Amino acid sequence: MKARILVVDDDEALAEMIGIVLRNDGFEPVFCADGGQALDVFRSSKPDLVLLDLMLPGTDGIEVCRQIRSESDVPIVMLTAKSDTSDVVRGLESGADDYVPKPFKPAELVARVRARLRPGDQKAPETLRIADITIDVAGHLVSRGDERISLTPLEFDLLVALARKPWQVFTRELLLEQVWGYRHAADTRLVNVHVQRLRSKIERDPEAPEVVMTVRGVGYKAGS
Amino acid sequence: MGSGSGPRGNSPAEESARDGSRKPGSRPGPEHTDAFGAGLAGLPLQARIWRRRALIVVLRVGRLVRTGVDRIFPGIRYLLHSLRRRWRRSLQFRTVLTTLLLCISSFAIVGAYLSNQIANNLFHEQLTQAESETRYNVKQVQDTFDGAQVTDQSSVITLVYDTLNAVEGKGSVIQRRYVFEAMPEQTKPRNRWVESRASDQLTISVIPPDLRAAVQDSGKEQFWASTEFPVGTEDRPGIAVGNKVTFNGTVYELYLIYDLNTAQQTLNEIQNVLWAGGAALILMIGAIAWYVTRNVVSPVSHAAAVSEKLAAGQLQERMVVKGEDEVARLGASFNHMAASLQEQITQLATLSQMQQRFVSDVSHELRTPLTTVRMAAEVLYDARNDFDPINKRSAELLYNQVERFQSLLADLLEISRFDAGVAMLDAEATDIVQLISHVMEGAAPVAEEYGSKMKLNAPEGSVVLEMDSRRIDRILRNLILNALEHGEGRAVNISVASNADAVAVTVRDHGIGMSPAEAARVFDRFWRADPARARTTGGSGLGLSIATEDTKLHNGWLQAWGNTGVGSNFRLTLPLKQGGTITKSPLPLEPADVGLGRPGDRSVLVLGRGATPAPMDSAPKDSAAAGNADAVARDSAAGASPAKNAEPAAAAAAGTPETARTGERS
Repeated sequence: MKARILVVDDDEALAEMIGIVLRNDGFEPVFCADGGQALDVFRSSKPDLVLLDLMLPGTDGIEVCRQIRSESDVPIVMLTAKSDTSDVVRGLESGADDYVPKPFKPAELVARVRARLRPGDQKAPETLRIADITIDVAGHLVSRGDERISLTPLEFDLLVALARKPWQVFTRELLLEQVWGYRHAADTRLVNVHVQRLRSKIERDPEAPEVVMTVRGVGYKAGS
Repeated sequence: MGSGSGPRGNSPAEESARDGSRKPGSRPGPEHTDAFGAGLAGLPLQARIWRRRALIVVLRVGRLVRTGVDRIFPGIRYLLHSLRRRWRRSLQFRTVLTTLLLCISSFAIVGAYLSNQIANNLFHEQLTQAESETRYNVKQVQDTFDGAQVTDQSSVITLVYDTLNAVEGKGSVIQRRYVFEAMPEQTKPRNRWVESRASDQLTISVIPPDLRAAVQDSGKEQFWASTEFPVGTEDRPGIAVGNKVTFNGTVYELYLIYDLNTAQQTLNEIQNVLWAGGAALILMIGAIAWYVTRNVVSPVSHAAAVSEKLAAGQLQERMVVKGEDEVARLGASFNHMAASLQEQITQLATLSQMQQRFVSDVSHELRTPLTTVRMAAEVLYDARNDFDPINKRSAELLYNQVERFQSLLADLLEISRFDAGVAMLDAEATDIVQLISHVMEGAAPVAEEYGSKMKLNAPEGSVVLEMDSRRIDRILRNLILNALEHGEGRAVNISVASNADAVAVTVRDHGIGMSPAEAARVFDRFWRADPARARTTGGSGLGLSIATEDTKLHNGWLQAWGNTGVGSNFRLTLPLKQGGTITKSPLPLEPADVGLGRPGDRSVLVLGRGATPAPMDSAPKDSAAAGNADAVARDSAAGASPAKNAEPAAAAAAGTPETARTGERS
């Protein structure tokens, strides 16, 4: 089955070009040129992944991202023309999983899309524990006691990666490679922002984390 | 006191002015010698005792003064300091003080002259009167004596006394005093009944010896001298006029003494009035000077205060303008200047904002179509094997040039972000050795392409410092790729070391290297060592400029060393803590493997860019000596390697201005 990808971009030439590339790689693109209609198109087309331009007429890309995230865990990859820290971080904080800075190569875009669409079906039944958190890997469930915690697939992957090797300290680069699928050095802010988002969901007190610990100067590790 | 010298003054002019009378000889200071002459004469022992006592007194006084000064010295110093400060900083204080000092000195000169003139005139008047009165009185006395019948002692005594008492004048106030003394050593038989006599218990000692000598030596002339004589408990100034009188064949000296006390009192009063008037005048002049300078200075200090506020950024600050005088003109032109300044600054601020927005807009507007073009080019490029040769080549060119265009645009936007001052440091504690490993991993394909080996030398294992890893990554990637590109397939050594407050990374290649002149320009925008090579190797020419800006943002140093044929060495030094300062880089800029062989081969160039201080640690040599050695070294290098003749010469020519610009070279 072809994965359906919603491309939200107001630049028609670029959207068309992205469509050509995606089709070439066996995806099924759906287009939307206006931020205000993005949510409707999203609801009607039920895509497997959203490619979202940050600068949109009508509703802002960040707002669209927030709306989609509020009702779905579907992976969102931002297309951004601004590489300023504040814009990227704002986009990631509004719920995007990854971003591709313009101008990008087709292969880069496809790699990002594939990484986010990685099939999670090969997971063996496995139960992991960090601190007082229980993770059912196959069932994609995270809970503290009886309380279920809802995570996006990316956050789930991040938590699982840390929980599988609680003795290991993960550098940001290693996490980028394992969770995001980057083979070369990428923007470590991705890790920072998502660790913060993850903490805000699973920690009792995100200011004093017990589940995802920071190892100063190196990276992160699972709490005991 | 000034009065003392006045009545006593005996100028040559006075001397010639007196008719019929002469001053007592030309012996100097007749009136000064009498007091001490008797006291000190011929008594060396007493003199020594007195000297010792004086010494003791002086020492005691000295000690007292010293302890006093010690005790109040801080206060005095503070006072002096504040006065000096006031003098330096206040134009008004300086003007008033100068005016006062000048007024006091000129008033002292005028006052002294006036007082002297008045005293002289008073004295001359008194003297003239004294001389004529004396002449008359002496004549009376002589006439009486000549006509006297010398019979018995008592009548003679009575006669003499009566005659002399008559000289004193009538009335309650004694007009003149007399001293009547028989001349000593007379050979003729003498009248022994009358030896000496004086009015009012005076003695002959009040008459200056010079005057006596003059009177004794002379014939019938009259002499005068200034003197002092006791009246009651006080000493009064006076004029003594001496004559000889003969009584019954015996010669007597008759001195008449005139009291100058009234004249002295008059003089004192005049002087008091003068000084009081002077003091009042000086006070008034001081007040006037203060008032006038305040009027002139206060607008100036107002202007100073306003311009300080302007300089501090309060651009709306203006001067108050009143009237149409020079000060008002100053105020008006100052305000005009401030207004145009404010306009300019506001305009500049707006321009800067516009520039930032422009950069941001261009960034977005250019990137979106560029993305489309790039993707299209890549699709064409991927399908190039299906094209005929012309289209295939076109697709390749399109692809490569779009790539180049994109990196150039990215670098330009980055540089303009630095220029607009919007670049922010996003620092976090990170291990730089790990970062270097990642960069080396990323550069591995390029190294393979050039056939170079990269070696990391990091004895410390890991060095954690606060840095923006995205920027440091960019700097190191740039340095390592540059080294590979110019390394001619030879090994590239990367070293890391740290000290208490800094970490240094050096990237050393053994390739074609660069001359010091080239090393000086390597951080310039769009500068290329070899213009012909640029097109084949690509790159925007902005990489090292961006690296410099990134380093500056970290408050670090980025420096280059190079030598033609030996290779080059780039050193990045960063403070361990954000906002820290570097005192010394842990690694030398001149690589250790260069050795200290022929001096002609060695040419280190230390670069400090922008706000970072130009560090001198790597090659601390006497710069003056180095300058001389430099020329010699170049000559020997040119002689030693004729194959490279042209290059050192060119480097030397281009290097001269570089030395001044970039610091030290040896």
